[in-house]
Amino acid sequence: MSKRILLCDDELHILRAAEFKFKRAGYEVDCAGDGQDGWEHIQRQRPDIVVTDCQMPRLSGLGLAERIRQTPATADLPIIMLSAKGFELSLDQLRAQYGIRCLMAKPFSPRELFARVEAVLAGQEAVKCELADARS
Amino acid sequence: MQFAPTAVLAVLCAALGLAWVVEPSIAPDGWCGRLAVLIGGLLVGLLAIRIVTVQVSKQAQAARRYIDSLCELEPHALHDDESSNAIPLRKEDHVWRELCQRVRRRLAEFASRAEDLEMTRAAGEVRVRRIVADRDRLREILAGLVDPVIAVDQFGEIVLANASAERLLDVKTSGDEHPALEQLKHCEQLVSLLGETRRRRAATQRSAEVALADDDGKPHWYRVTCRTLADDDEQPAGGDRPAGHGAVAVLTDITGQKVIQKRNAEFVSSVSHEMKTPLSSIRAYVELLVDGEAEDEATREEFLGVINSQADRLQRLIDNMLNLARIEAGVVTVNKSALSLNELLGEAVDVMQPAAEEKKVTLAAEFSPLYLGVLADRDMLLQAAINLLSNAVKYTKPGGSVTLRSRLSDQEVIFEVEDTGVGLSSEDCQRVFERFYRVKKDSEMASGTGLGLALVKHIVEDVHGGRIEVASEPGRGSTFRVNLPGLAQLNA
Repeated sequence: MSKRILLCDDELHILRAAEFKFKRAGYEVDCAGDGQDGWEHIQRQRPDIVVTDCQMPRLSGLGLAERIRQTPATADLPIIMLSAKGFELSLDQLRAQYGIRCLMAKPFSPRELFARVEAVLAGQEAVKCELADARS
Repeated sequence: MQFAPTAVLAVLCAALGLAWVVEPSIAPDGWCGRLAVLIGGLLVGLLAIRIVTVQVSKQAQAARRYIDSLCELEPHALHDDESSNAIPLRKEDHVWRELCQRVRRRLAEFASRAEDLEMTRAAGEVRVRRIVADRDRLREILAGLVDPVIAVDQFGEIVLANASAERLLDVKTSGDEHPALEQLKHCEQLVSLLGETRRRRAATQRSAEVALADDDGKPHWYRVTCRTLADDDEQPAGGDRPAGHGAVAVLTDITGQKVIQKRNAEFVSSVSHEMKTPLSSIRAYVELLVDGEAEDEATREEFLGVINSQADRLQRLIDNMLNLARIEAGVVTVNKSALSLNELLGEAVDVMQPAAEEKKVTLAAEFSPLYLGVLADRDMLLQAAINLLSNAVKYTKPGGSVTLRSRLSDQEVIFEVEDTGVGLSSEDCQRVFERFYRVKKDSEMASGTGLGLALVKHIVEDVHGGRIEVASEPGRGSTFRVNLPGLAQLNA
């Protein structure tokens, strides 16, 4: 059975590029333009993994992660975060507080994103993260 | 006649007379004879004494005259042997001459010492006056300094605080009042810095940044430069002297710099974010193309189109930044020429059309049928129009519309950009042209550098002598109107 992925980003081109990549790999892809939109998608149909941007209108990536964690039905949903900005929180805090499995800096490579999504879905805990890059 | 022989003769006569009285055998016979000899002897004695007295008195008078004359001499003439020798002194008074000369020399000595003392005193007085003037001037300079200055002595007492320091630190140091350093409230960092500097054995200078609240309780950042003060010479150099020196601290208000630093950091952060967004797309699509993911021609075309538009976006961002920096630094070269506003606006619409379509926002142009001539820098005015359009598209939700209009009004040409976007509050309307200003709820909603509108305002008002205004209502959309001075208007 194919995996379902939810992509959240307010930048349409990025959304489209990621969608293209995952669709070609046989994923079922849901696209959302902001956190709120993404949350509505999740409530309609629970994906296997969420890839979200951080800075988005209405509901930010962290806000979405918080909702996912606080809802029992989705509390274990793996999240990968993309960001062009640095974080005030450390990766440990992001992991503990929001259950972020992996943080990727923008600009990102769709190939690499795909590899990480696969790794997270395959249950590899030690997914390489690029927090240092994301802080720049 | 000399005093000694005269006296001896008188005493001899008196003694002889007395001897005759006592021992008549050695005297001539008869009482009358003896009495005559006695009286004669006494008279001779008295005469001799009288002569001596008169002589002595004359010499004393001569000496007095001499000394009087010396007193009348100018102090410098006392040194001069010739002028003092010119004072008449009779030959008979030579006994006094030696004494008088000694008196003269002593007087000369005293006169010279008095002269030295007077000179020293006068020089001292001049120095004191100069020092007092210097001190007053320094005190005035210190009092007028905007930077607070505070000094403590080696006992940790505040010996000096200028007006700014007194206000900032709420301390009084007038007269003999020297409060202890520890009495300063709410500035522990400053107290410890001054204390530590004071206790250092060697001369030292240290600085730190401290936050202090001003009169209104507003926090200010100060750079404190603390330096040891040289020892006070008046202090006894004994064992009971405390180790260390005095210290002086100068506080410089760096709140403005801090704000600029923070703004710059935020600016760099938002600019890099803004640049990374188109760069992300470019990188992602290039990779998809390189990996051969796009199998059909249409997809490849689509990806190349995205790369192209994102490269344009990056270019515009860089242009905005450079132009704003150039205009603000006053190094911009303006090339104005007469041109058609409608033509220029048409070009701006062409540039923004793809972005609007992509976001499903209708971009409409309603231009005046008249030829609207303006004297303008083509590139700059085009950039201003593009910035206004791109802003309108950015803040309008899919399904909304953006309309660009142009028209003629009196001697001015007008163009306006109307959108059906999120709109602005009245406070936002006033501040939206400020550099780096970003509408609060939008800083969450749409990314941006807060540069675009600031640049538009510069271009319209400073470069073209026009004016820009905004009318808006939250939730109902905004209209940005630009008025430019028109050229001669002709029918199109």
